[in-house]
Order: sequence, then structure tokens, then C-alpha cells
Amino acid sequence: MSRLDCEEALAHLQDYLKSELTPDLVAEVRAHLERCRDCADYARFEESFLFMLENRGAKVTCPKEVRARILAALQAASKGS
Amino acid sequence: MAEPSVAERSFDDEALPHLDTLYRVALRLTADPTMAEDLVQDTMLKAYRSWRQYRPGTNARGWLLTILRNTFINDYRRRKHEPVAMDLETVEPHALYRSIQDTDPEGTFFSQIVDAKVLEAIDSLPADFREVLALSDIEGMSYGEIAETLKIPVGTVKSRLFRARRQLQAELYSHAVEMGYIKPREAAR
Repeated sequence: MSRLDCEEALAHLQDYLKSELTPDLVAEVRAHLERCRDCADYARFEESFLFMLENRGAKVTCPKEVRARILAALQAASKGS
Repeated sequence: MAEPSVAERSFDDEALPHLDTLYRVALRLTADPTMAEDLVQDTMLKAYRSWRQYRPGTNARGWLLTILRNTFINDYRRRKHEPVAMDLETVEPHALYRSIQDTDPEGTFFSQIVDAKVLEAIDSLPADFREVLALSDIEGMSYGEIAETLKIPVGTVKSRLFRARRQLQAELYSHAVEMGYIKPREAAR
């Protein structure tokens, strides 16, 4: 297995955090993060950013009255066709 | 009263469960709740009318999002004034992190920012950026699925996404400084 330097590891970091890397590269990035504290800290920072985004964004749901309005419009469309 | 047809049943089973996703993406695309409601309704009606073109069991979410996006571009986009991208070419990727690594290396300030402010910051990104960010980092779609939905190369998805994240981090950082959640590092340089 090749050893990634900081620049190479960071170039793959975003893909690593989004599970978009091949298993080989995942292992290489992980190995780098285990031996490099600076990069590991930075990775945690990016991770907390992504976690926050997912957490905040996905809470929003379609309001009941909007859902009802859309279902009524679909109902009307099905009768009209 | 006639029984619902097979097509109606499959629309209910395959399309309706994605309503929340469509609504969230519409909110981020339009950055306007009223417009988002209209956009989702238009999208669902179009999807219903062209449901025959959908192949059952394939990616309904992607199919619906493609309709949503085309509708947005054709009928909604010109209605509003779009924010512009920051000039990020000159910003070094880890500059933000470097300015907080001594005081808040784990980025805990992110968790202090209220939901509404986070969403507002997303909405201040250019539409192309909001779109990929919403699909990837909020809806959890893969790069491949996003590329297919938006009909753009995976490389473009990635570069927009990285720039979107950087711009958003910069927005949230300046908000956090303003609110006193974080102390800016002495103007080093």
C-alpha cells in the first residue's frame, strides 16, 4: 500500500467523508489520518460541518396543508384526465 | 366510484413518498417558501401526467428531481434575483480551518448556529451550488445519482460541491464571529 502524504490525503478527504472512495483509497486515507494528527483534526472539523448540514437540512418536512393541497390537485387532475 | 388504476396506485407508492425530499430541494432551489410550494405542486402534476414515461422500480427520486429542476429552470428561475458566487479562486481551501484551529478545532461553533440561520446561509449561495449541496449533503445522494439527475459530469458535481461547502463555511464563520460564538484569530498575516 502506498503512503499518502498530507496533500494527497486531503485531496481525497471530501470523497472519503462522503463514502465515495474505493476500498483501497479508504484504507490509505484512514492510515494517513491515524498517523497525522493535523489532518485528523482537520478531518474532524469537516466531518462536524457535514454532520451539522445533514442534521439541520433533513429536519424540514413538507407541511401538512401543502401536502393536502398537492393531493387535492392530483385528485382533480386524475378526474380531469 | 372507480377503483384506482394500476398507474395511480404505483404513483402513490413510488412518487408520493418523495414529497418531503422534493419540498426540501424546492425550498433550497427557490429560497422562497411560497414559490417552493408552487414548484412542488407543479412538479407533482407534471410527474403525474407523464407517469407513463417512468419505468417502475427505477430511481423515482431522481426522476422526480429532474422534473423539479427543469420546471424550476424553465418557469421559476427568471423570477428571482440570483446571488453570485464568491471569488473563491483566491481563497485557500483550508484558510477558514486555519483561522479557528487554535480556538475551536472541532468546529463546535457550527452547532451553536440556529437552524434558520444555517438554511438562510445555504440560500445565499448561487443556485447551482445550493442545488448540489442540497442533494448531496442534505438528501444524502451519491455523486453518481446527482450527476444523473442534473445531467452533468461527476467532476462538475464534485467541483460545485466543494466550492459550495467552502462558501457556506465562510458564511457561517462570519455569522459565528458576529454572534460571538467564536473569536476571530488576531489578524495574523
